[in-house]
Amino acid sequence: MNNFDSKWQACAALARQKPPGDMHAPAGFAGRVLARASIPEAPGLAEVWQALVTRLLAGSVAMLLLCTALEWPHLWERPTLQTGVENTVAQLLWSL
Amino acid sequence: MLVEQLYPLVIRIVRCHLPVRAAAEDLAQEIFLKLFSRLDQYQARAGIPFEHWVSRLAIRTCLDALRAERRRPEVRWSDLSDEQSAWLEFMLLDGTAAPAASPTSAREVVDLLLSQLPPADGLIIRLLDLEEKSVNEISQLTGWGQPLVKVRAFRARQKLRKLAKTLKGSV
Repeated sequence: MNNFDSKWQACAALARQKPPGDMHAPAGFAGRVLARASIPEAPGLAEVWQALVTRLLAGSVAMLLLCTALEWPHLWERPTLQTGVENTVAQLLWSL
Repeated sequence: MLVEQLYPLVIRIVRCHLPVRAAAEDLAQEIFLKLFSRLDQYQARAGIPFEHWVSRLAIRTCLDALRAERRRPEVRWSDLSDEQSAWLEFMLLDGTAAPAASPTSAREVVDLLLSQLPPADGLIIRLLDLEEKSVNEISQLTGWGQPLVKVRAFRARQKLRKLAKTLKGSV
């Protein structure tokens, strides 16, 4: 330990002796904390985005299930549409 | 009541690490609000009391508040009181006797120098030298690994020395 460090330690040792001051909560502090805690926080951008994405995902899943349910009875039948038409419809749906 | 019981612990940490412009009570309120919102995250484990979890939360909140401070007032030698400059001369010059000063003035010098260090460096020196925490305790409180604590402490002490010399050079 060099000279500066040992002298710093001497200063810090004296600084530690400073009395800590009043450690009791000021009047009404707990009430103010509880009042602030009871105020609902405004949703942040992340929360809004998360809610939006969750709803979008739920809608997509519902749409997928609906399409699957509609298609299910015809799953093993011969395709009624031409391949070209199917591709066009698929691309149209994908672009939506 | 929980707030009344934990207040001395929280306010002691806040006063020790208080950012220059922040009010102690505001920061203490911030800590209690975080505490209530994260109370369900606390898991009682053997050897880790609830007070330790609160201390860790308080220290991390103080560190965030220190980091959020954009600019700190620059300190010059001419801004120091006689007692403060006597302390700095004692630290920097060989053969200088320790000033016959009060703990309050020693604390002012310590706070002044540490407030000029980067937040994480100031925090680590406070925990080591003012609160006399061990490296292991600091590691648990801050979430930093023990090697990181040692490296940061070493670098913080280097910066502290350099800062004191720069301040003396600005006479």
